[in-house]
Amino acid sequence: MKAISFAGALTLASVAFAGDPTGTPPLPLGLSAKLYQLTVPKPPTPAEVALGDKLFNDKRLSVDDSVSCATCHDPAKAFADGKARAVGIKNQVGQRNSPTVLNALFQATQFWDGRAGTLEDQAKLPILNPIEMGMPSPEAVVTKVRGIPEYRDAFKKLNGREPTYDDIASAIAAFERTQLAGNARFDRFLTGESKALSAKEKNGWALFNGKARCNSCHAGNAVSPLFSDQKFHNIGIAAHKQDFVQLATEALRVVRAGDEEQNDRLALETKFSELGRFLVTRNENDIGGFKTPTLRNVGVTGPYMHDGSLATLWDVIDHYNKGGTDNPFLDGGMQRLGLTEPEIDDLVAFLFALTSEDFKALEKKELASQRAKKSNRPERDTAIALGKKGHMGDLAPNPDIKNPADLGLYGPVASPEK
Amino acid sequence: MHVRNKLGIAALGLGLGLGSLATWQTAFAETPSPLPQHRVPKSSDGDVVVAMCDGETTLEVEGVKDPSTITRDKAQAISDELLLAWRKKNPDARWDAPPPKQQLVAQANPPQPPAPASAPVKKAGETASSGADEAARRASANIQAGHTYGAFSERDEAIWKESTEQAVREGHRVFHDAKAVGGTVAISCDMCHPDASNTHPETYPKYQVQLGRVALLRDMINWCIENPTRGKPLADDDPRMKAMEAYIYAQRKGVKLEYGKH
Amino acid sequence: MRKGVKSIETKHYEERDSFFDGLRRLDRRAFMRIAGLSAGIAAARGLVTPQGFQLISVAEAATPSAKPKFSFAYISDSHLYKKELNDRFVRSLLKAVDDINRLDPQPDFVLYGGDLAQLGQKEELDLGKEILKGLKAPVKMMVGEHDWFLDMGEHWRGLFGEPQYSFDHKGVHFVTLMSVNEKDFWTERKMTPMERMQTVAGLDNGIQSRFEVGPAGREWLKRDLEKLNKNTPLVVFSHSPLYKYYKPWNFWTDDADEVQALLRPFKAVTVIHGHTHQVLSNQIGNIQFHGLLSTAWPWPYAPEGLPSLTVPMNRPDPFSNFDGCGDGRIDVLESGLVDKLYNLWDRNPVTVKSSYLATGGKQDRPPTAKLPPY
Repeated sequence: MKAISFAGALTLASVAFAGDPTGTPPLPLGLSAKLYQLTVPKPPTPAEVALGDKLFNDKRLSVDDSVSCATCHDPAKAFADGKARAVGIKNQVGQRNSPTVLNALFQATQFWDGRAGTLEDQAKLPILNPIEMGMPSPEAVVTKVRGIPEYRDAFKKLNGREPTYDDIASAIAAFERTQLAGNARFDRFLTGESKALSAKEKNGWALFNGKARCNSCHAGNAVSPLFSDQKFHNIGIAAHKQDFVQLATEALRVVRAGDEEQNDRLALETKFSELGRFLVTRNENDIGGFKTPTLRNVGVTGPYMHDGSLATLWDVIDHYNKGGTDNPFLDGGMQRLGLTEPEIDDLVAFLFALTSEDFKALEKKELASQRAKKSNRPERDTAIALGKKGHMGDLAPNPDIKNPADLGLYGPVASPEK
Repeated sequence: MHVRNKLGIAALGLGLGLGSLATWQTAFAETPSPLPQHRVPKSSDGDVVVAMCDGETTLEVEGVKDPSTITRDKAQAISDELLLAWRKKNPDARWDAPPPKQQLVAQANPPQPPAPASAPVKKAGETASSGADEAARRASANIQAGHTYGAFSERDEAIWKESTEQAVREGHRVFHDAKAVGGTVAISCDMCHPDASNTHPETYPKYQVQLGRVALLRDMINWCIENPTRGKPLADDDPRMKAMEAYIYAQRKGVKLEYGKH
Repeated sequence: MRKGVKSIETKHYEERDSFFDGLRRLDRRAFMRIAGLSAGIAAARGLVTPQGFQLISVAEAATPSAKPKFSFAYISDSHLYKKELNDRFVRSLLKAVDDINRLDPQPDFVLYGGDLAQLGQKEELDLGKEILKGLKAPVKMMVGEHDWFLDMGEHWRGLFGEPQYSFDHKGVHFVTLMSVNEKDFWTERKMTPMERMQTVAGLDNGIQSRFEVGPAGREWLKRDLEKLNKNTPLVVFSHSPLYKYYKPWNFWTDDADEVQALLRPFKAVTVIHGHTHQVLSNQIGNIQFHGLLSTAWPWPYAPEGLPSLTVPMNRPDPFSNFDGCGDGRIDVLESGLVDKLYNLWDRNPVTVKSSYLATGGKQDRPPTAKLPPY
């Protein structure tokens, strides 16, 4: 398995500027130094990273030695797994889609419902989850790891003592903090390479900021280039598979605040996982809400949504085009978009242009595979999208949008922020 | 001046410098209906007698012969006096005092049609001959003169103020008219922003969450045109955009600038 | 786990842990049984979670004494245009109707708070009536200025009857007032009916007269309340606030003092009013005032005159079609006063209790807004 180490990242990505004295490493094109400084107070050392790399890929962290972090977060597959829902030990299928580790360090919270506040907190949970890696307790993990000489020595050298569960999580998180992905065609376009985006992709970018209303939740700009507002929205995905209202009403009477572990189990095992952020905050308006994911590398990290229920990006746009699935907790910003087929194609083209150069081959493959599925569009409802049926809101007339990039609205990408 | 409560005949219409005399009887000669009549007493000295709308109270203005020109200040004094008398007679009446003259933020420049009066123009300085007086007067004042910036007259200021007010009024019109702003769902700006409240133009530039980036006031105006009112966004130099900005800023006169405030 | 005496928190956590443990092994039916038991046990022991969310479908018993006598729901200020012109307001009203229909148990009746149409047109009022027909519970209509001033209430009366009426329900006397009368400002200006309606429709349009109940209305009210025992709880529905909040926007009733004087002798009086499209609470003397939410759009808070007891709602986000809007429920208590639940869409619900108003804001304070109004 190819592991993209920190050193590797330096060679693969084209570096726009040298690392500055404060310790911020050189970042791939498009990523914001300011954001890095905000999220990573002290960059990890190469020793930690190497150790974390080993742990990340080590199947022995699971109870039957069959599953490692990299099983669901496969570096070759842009740190996702290409499956709708994650599969753990004994071929058990969970309830959620595996998010990518690339740029995960920049996220405000981890998991689709934000139940982990840091990468360390996140790393601890799948190891203990009976469906994913199945270790019975933190003590069991620590015992197992201490029993492996190379780890015991590495940790002793690093920390001067035997590893604890926190140390293991720290090391994995340190490795994850080097998994940066930028340098997409979009980033090169912003720095002045006007040919980097095709006309269709440019139109997609204009639609993204205009008629398709994407930038309200998937905001991208020079300081926060994640294409995500890191908030939790109910866009009707949970509602389109079941009697969601019924579920929510039951749960409201029943669910209490659990700690991360309790929520973790609820999220992955029971049907209440569809309640999303509500399991964490118990706020009524968070029912069915899931975190806005990053759109960088979205083309190669399908299937989409928290349960992987949308197979292609065309399905995703179809879902938004009809205003999501109406349910009592639907986010107020959802409404029908009235996008035409060529506009949808342009949007998808733009989204693929957010893929990092490292994954060029994978991008080609994914695009072909998604295009093949294009004839089958289960989410499409043109009548609702165009307002002939239903009450999913009204539309603005199509404005003559100038390309936002031409207007300099994204912000400077090439020059370092102070 | 003292008040007389007496029933009488003959009244004088209160005129500001008009001085026209009309008796009760002549004015209503053709009216056949038995309307209640306010019988106003005639002054023994031939003074002006003013009748009040309650049908009872009258006031004799001493020393002012009937007919004569009455200045505005004097007329105001007469009205005040009459009103005082009425209020004494009707202690239980609910009388809303005029609103205090404090500077309401949103009301700093209330854009009510018809046009607010422009600054009073001095008579002097209008004609060519008075220009010389004006020039002489200015020469004696110890202010830098000549073609220096700022050497403009009150007349200039009045004209410019009126032009500004015109832009603000145009902005008021567009702001209150869903079709004028280009909206397609009959929602006008004042529905959510009466008197341009909640527009907070003093907080721009700032990161505007709805746009996902830093914005200025006109970016947000355009966003609002596109989204809540479902119209086409206006070009930066569209006169309607400029007018609306003018109106919005005018409503926030005196508010501290605080860019970036959320 | 601590040994020895267990604190409330520990007991709570233990109960919860075992609850979740059981959760994993249950099938759905068994799950629901345990859940019901658990909720019951928790409530009985007073272990209701401190942040007891007040869901519109479940009346959480916060304090035993505040159990409502009965409840009614409300929808208000829909400002409908015809669907082809503006679909959004129709969508909101349908959403409100769905919310109320989903309540379990159903409310005793639904108050419609006024301003059903935006410009008082026949098609708008008819559309509104059609949509409200979808409500399962009976509807009590109240008229707003947007319904009235196109044809001076002619079509409204045909559809919904007289604007002023009263009724008794479970020992409470309800009065619906027509409180948006305006002195004639249109004849001298030679306005057409539509011009008159457009003038009234503009909140900051200073030409229109201030709202009033008017002498005829007050006389009607006086006679209606004459024979009523002063201890009977009284709830008054009015479109204008029946107090003086902000004159330039007609958040105002000119003869408020007279009307309040008629209401004051009663022991428990509550005024429920529309028109202001915001969370609004006030107490004047012994009269409590609650404002209704709109389904169409929220108003900002006025630059001055905001009652000190009002805890403002958070600033609305214009990106959301529904933010700052909603519907809600009013619980009439044994005392005869009411607790008001604001079901703000896309936000957590907010309840303003009569105890909060009665104690001058010292008790049961509703949650504060995150950002102040501008």
